[in-house]
Amino acid sequence: MENLDAARLQMAFTLIFHIIFACIGMVMPFFMVVSHYKWLKTKDEVYLTLTKSWQKGVAIFFVTGAVSGTALSFELGLLWPEFMKHAGPIIGMPFSLEGAAFFVEAIALGFYLYGWNKLPERFHWFTGVIIGISGVASGILVVAANGWMNAPSGFDYVNGEFLNIDPIQAMLNPAWFTQALHMTLAAFTATGFAVAGIHAYQVYKGRKINLHTKAFKIAITFGAVAAILQPISGDISAKDIAERQPVKLAAMEAHYHTEKGAPLYIGGIVDAETQEVSYKIAIPNALSFLAFGDFDAEVKGLNDFPEDERPNVPIVHYAFQTMVGIGSILMLAGVLYFISLKKKKWLVNTKYWIFFVLLAPLGFIALEAGWIVTEVGRQPWIIHKIMRTKDAVTPMPGIVFSFYTYVAVYLTLSVAVTWLMIRQIKVLNSSNT
Amino acid sequence: MLYVVLFFLIFSLYLYVLLGGADYGAGIVELFSSKENQKITKKTIYRVMGPVWEANHIWIIILIVILWIAFPAYYNIMVVNLHIPLTIFLLGVTLRGVAFVFRHYDAVIDNSQKLYDGMFKISSLVTPIFLGMVFGALISGEIKVVDDVSSLTFYEVFIHPWLNVFTVLVGFFFAALCAFLSAVLLIGEAAAINRTIYVRKAAIATIVVVLIGFITFIYGYFFDHVFVSEFIKNPYAMIAMLLSGLFLIPLWIAIRKSRRVVSRFFAGLQVFLILFAALIAHFPEIIILENGSVSLLENIAPDSVIKVLGISLIIGGAVILPGLFHLLKSFKMIKILEPTERESV
Repeated sequence: MENLDAARLQMAFTLIFHIIFACIGMVMPFFMVVSHYKWLKTKDEVYLTLTKSWQKGVAIFFVTGAVSGTALSFELGLLWPEFMKHAGPIIGMPFSLEGAAFFVEAIALGFYLYGWNKLPERFHWFTGVIIGISGVASGILVVAANGWMNAPSGFDYVNGEFLNIDPIQAMLNPAWFTQALHMTLAAFTATGFAVAGIHAYQVYKGRKINLHTKAFKIAITFGAVAAILQPISGDISAKDIAERQPVKLAAMEAHYHTEKGAPLYIGGIVDAETQEVSYKIAIPNALSFLAFGDFDAEVKGLNDFPEDERPNVPIVHYAFQTMVGIGSILMLAGVLYFISLKKKKWLVNTKYWIFFVLLAPLGFIALEAGWIVTEVGRQPWIIHKIMRTKDAVTPMPGIVFSFYTYVAVYLTLSVAVTWLMIRQIKVLNSSNT
Repeated sequence: MLYVVLFFLIFSLYLYVLLGGADYGAGIVELFSSKENQKITKKTIYRVMGPVWEANHIWIIILIVILWIAFPAYYNIMVVNLHIPLTIFLLGVTLRGVAFVFRHYDAVIDNSQKLYDGMFKISSLVTPIFLGMVFGALISGEIKVVDDVSSLTFYEVFIHPWLNVFTVLVGFFFAALCAFLSAVLLIGEAAAINRTIYVRKAAIATIVVVLIGFITFIYGYFFDHVFVSEFIKNPYAMIAMLLSGLFLIPLWIAIRKSRRVVSRFFAGLQVFLILFAALIAHFPEIIILENGSVSLLENIAPDSVIKVLGISLIIGGAVILPGLFHLLKSFKMIKILEPTERESV
């Protein structure tokens, strides 16, 4: 394996894991404080048990997210030294603020975890809210840094040098808002449906129905609201990408030939050689409309771009289809949940619970697929139109060994964390309340 | 603004060595304890470190982010030439963090605790050794920065600079320093009957620190090591080292008399003096290469970057430091601010 491929795989692999830990660590505090709030209001012991159990989940995911994040902060340089040498100072702003937000989160977590019966009740609860808010702030800031790679700004590029650097403009690059909005909603959707699915399974199995139903409702409410809002954010993103990175949009849609009134492909198998997409459903003029709000607008095809500036089309296309497909399912499921609030009968139907159990992993699959679209779709650039990924990779040979080590460690860790969560739930089910 | 950034850089380094160091040291102390004492130590560590250990480790993230934003050339040499020890250090951090959480948050207490404990103790020793080796490599004068690595062997460029007698000595020195810090901290936190355990550990750790420090210097002196010979020539570095030797006396009086606040103060001062001596010996040339050195004050990011970074550090510091202080006060320090058990009896 070549160094570049090994480095890209290692980066992808560690990010795929980090995103899961980070999203759960960022969203679960919100479930926890809602449950905590209900405990303070109703003094129903079930909410206290639930809060404490979720709190352990938050602690475990916070730490795994924090250590994998620490690893990533080094990996950026270890794998892409040439990139960090130039980009580090420019996109330092969101990273330094992220460091601060993360620090606030760690402090708040310290207060929250160890503050039971020691801190005033309301203040204690409030430290939980701070965990959530600073977690989301961290997420947004990191995504802003990624946005800069897609939409580099805040400097002048003259003869291979980065001059007149403006770190604030770099942070508030044209992509930061659309990406951050889309990612935040995705984190809530994915975590909401995943946590709800786990509790739905417990209800389905008939364990502690009261507790798990309450837990399910809190988690799914966040997930459903986010899933219903997500298509709006997706539309904003699509229009933004059509403007800024037309080649990425073309790859997402496997759109090879420039045309006016371009159709939208749903599904389909891409043949990169012949540049044909077979077995697709084509909706006439829809791509033009979605990208530019005009049924007859011209959408640039891949053929309009030099061959060495195109990403891997099949990967981007399939990932995009996966994301949108799952997003639509989850949006409908969200609507279904709100309908179910009026239909009490549904809650005793096992099919209702199985339905949500099956949805549990989908949010995260969509989220990972979305990141594959963004990151693979950006290739061959590490900084869009400025620096190629192959020029940024470390000169140290043998990265493939580092990649295998990371794979072994992260896979072991994820097995261990899953096992720990299963034990957590078992203990929760055997407790008295 | 450059000085604000420099201040925060060195401040984070100091706090990481102090707090992160005490944190690693806790695992080392536990590793070198008898079975029975291990249990006591485990409980004490959890009580003392539990609420703050995450915060302790964020200093290195702050450190690394400041490095890459403000001193990209520095960061570049570290990540390219010291890729391997940094990766091992990271794996150590990962396994250690996970083990810490697992052993305290696993809902079921069973045999798997042994695995978590083992992981925690071993990674607590290995991680600081590699971090020390990284620092040792930076000042060792063995790093080769060349445009084309293909003219040299892999060993010459990517292994020898961090894996040699000098760096290994620095690595063990740092690990011993961590154990020392932790033992001093634990003396003040343990129940009265267990205090002697940590007094003994602190004594052993002090001896080891002094011994390894001494060997490092002897080695450097006889093999004409650039860092050591410059160190000896630098009056500030020598004064700092002498002071750190002298302050061992009040430190030990304080420990003997169970003066917890005073003993911690002197332990913190030791770290300050050691770091000061190590950095001042070459300042601002903190990275010594085989062919020359890299100055911290040259190769910095453009003014606009430094300005914005300085402002964000000041704002961040204003938010974080009071919060952190409050956290320390609420949990860890409470005990120390209260009268000691002996006094209250």
